[in-house]
Amino acid sequence: MATVLDGPPNLAALYARAALTARGRGGALPDTHLARHGVTVDRDHLAAYARVCRLPLDDVLPATYPHMLTFPLQMALMTDRAFPLGLVGLVHVRNRIEVLRPVRAEEALDLEVWAERFATHRSGATVDLCATATVGGAEVWRSRSTYLSRGATAPDGAPEADVEVPVGALERVAATWRVPDDAGRRYAKVSGDVNPIHLSGLTAKALGFKRAIAHGMWVKARVLGALAGRLPEALEFDVQFKKPLFLPSTVALSTAEVAGGWDVAVRNAGSGTEHVVGTIRTLEEKH
Amino acid sequence: MADNSKPATRKAAIVGGNRIPFARSNTAYAQASNQDMLTATLDGLVARFGLQGEQVGEVVAGAVLKHARDFNLTRESVLGSTLAATTPAYDVQQACGTGLEAAVLVANKIALGQIESGIAGGVDTTSDAPLAVGDDLRRVLISLNNAKTVGDRLKALARIRPGQLVPEIPRNAEPRTGLAMGDHAAITAKEWEIGREEQDELAVRSHHAMAAAYERGFFDDLVTPYLGLARDNNLRPDSSAEKLATLKPVFGRGEGATMTAGNSTPLTDGASAVLLASDEWAAAKGLPVLAHLVDAQTAAVDYVHGGEGLLMAPAYAMPVMLARNGLTLQDFDFYEIHEAFASTVLSTMKAWEDPEFCKEKLGLDAPLGSIDRSKLNVNGSSLAAGHPFAATGGRIVASLAKMLHEAGPGKRGLISICAAGGQGVVAILES
Repeated sequence: MATVLDGPPNLAALYARAALTARGRGGALPDTHLARHGVTVDRDHLAAYARVCRLPLDDVLPATYPHMLTFPLQMALMTDRAFPLGLVGLVHVRNRIEVLRPVRAEEALDLEVWAERFATHRSGATVDLCATATVGGAEVWRSRSTYLSRGATAPDGAPEADVEVPVGALERVAATWRVPDDAGRRYAKVSGDVNPIHLSGLTAKALGFKRAIAHGMWVKARVLGALAGRLPEALEFDVQFKKPLFLPSTVALSTAEVAGGWDVAVRNAGSGTEHVVGTIRTLEEKH
Repeated sequence: MADNSKPATRKAAIVGGNRIPFARSNTAYAQASNQDMLTATLDGLVARFGLQGEQVGEVVAGAVLKHARDFNLTRESVLGSTLAATTPAYDVQQACGTGLEAAVLVANKIALGQIESGIAGGVDTTSDAPLAVGDDLRRVLISLNNAKTVGDRLKALARIRPGQLVPEIPRNAEPRTGLAMGDHAAITAKEWEIGREEQDELAVRSHHAMAAAYERGFFDDLVTPYLGLARDNNLRPDSSAEKLATLKPVFGRGEGATMTAGNSTPLTDGASAVLLASDEWAAAKGLPVLAHLVDAQTAAVDYVHGGEGLLMAPAYAMPVMLARNGLTLQDFDFYEIHEAFASTVLSTMKAWEDPEFCKEKLGLDAPLGSIDRSKLNVNGSSLAAGHPFAATGGRIVASLAKMLHEAGPGKRGLISICAAGGQGVVAILES
């Protein structure tokens, strides 16, 4: 049974709570489900999101957009004291989104999030934050975000973490992007994801990063924007976040058309350091 | 003497069109860029005619108000659309004539056999308008950019004055006269003694005709909803002469001023696109041929020093095109005269009826004569829909082609569009 919230949780407050309640966590994953019903898209927010991610503005939600609506719920779940892993130091390592059919901006969405698959990773433990969006009872969108907590221990008998997204050879560069110093702040303003590691060099240093890093979901959305007009209607977009994208950077997007979709990679334009690799595939009917 | 007859070519078919509903400035599309709107419009057209992933011969479109970054607006929109990325594209700009001129350009290439299919379109936003820095500041910034030493940079920066920081907002005004288009139209309205009542009446008719057309589903296969808007939000189905009579004039001065916000088009955002093709291409794809683009003509007038009205160029283009096709002004079943202002439509028609104007200015032995008003803008025009400058031509071409198709074979339609800079484009469609 899901706990239904009336509105979106305040992310800044949740980050503050996370910092204050980092100690003394542990145990198994709670089976809490958080939900919001009848959520409608604020068109101005959608426009701001499209602008910051360089996505075309139309009536169909970008595949990554519902995450804007489900992420605050997932944050509420993760910052709750019952959640076994401290939010500080949690790293987003994989995100898989499935668009079961195009979702239009005017549709009222029922959202639900939960955590599952506490798993063992060679450098700690991972957990999946899942989300689903339904319209009139039919699922239209789902996502699975895998977070790694370094040094954490999964419960006995936990499965192996599944964080790899294999891609084919991606040698040809399709586009070069200059990612400015303020890319994190700009996306934070729209997404509400004000994690200090994205906001400035100082706040990132305080959390152990040498410089501010770009939001992975922003990079993912920009890849989507770069492929606008060439994507299947129902799709599965799975990415692995590899090395942090430090700000500012110049990165190179590589794309390769494969049967049923695309393989993509975003790498540092100079060093070749891999930031994001992913696959986009036509979603076949699975029922 | 030059041979003025047309070479033997095929006529380009109009297969259909698509547009997004037009939105008054800073309303539903306040956040949309020209590229957003044009891409959505192309995608709607592609979806309507099943052209996903296909390469068409060429896409030609333009915008009147364009950001410098949109130098390749149409090609960029094609690349973001569901058309094949191998579809060539280019931009055109002929002020409010852009959309129709784009259709003529595509049709001509089809007529010459250079392409088999093409899309003509146009888009404009007055909400997401390109602000420019003033010329003084622009020069300072260029020297700053070119400065090699810190001293040079400081010198350049020292030239900045607070007043220069106010951006230049594009205005709907003529660079050479400094007059707003509406003020120009007001001068013409006065010259042609166009009354307030007849302007308001034309505006009311436009609103009622377009509302009725929406009601009977005429626009169902011409318009695709966008950003939550399903109909033009300038449309006032309950418009009436009494309501319009209460509005104060906004263009022209003093006693004789007749032009109000009600009988002038508002600033509008929107986009339109038209699919043209050879008959063979359409047949091979199983697509309809609504009408053919038979001929077109442009003209320009010297509104700066020559004393002609800014928006009167279509009056000059028309007799040239009619003569070339052996037609009279009365040989048409539908007339689409773009309602930039109600007074523009009325002045143009009055000019064609005027023996002196037709003799002195157009060099005709007899006036072109009058138009049967029941055949004019029968599904409404720009006063009702609004007028996103470059998008108007595509709206009219697609609508007229559909009207002709519904009326049956052998019907003729006439288009007349006035444009800034004293230009005009006219065209003939035939089912």
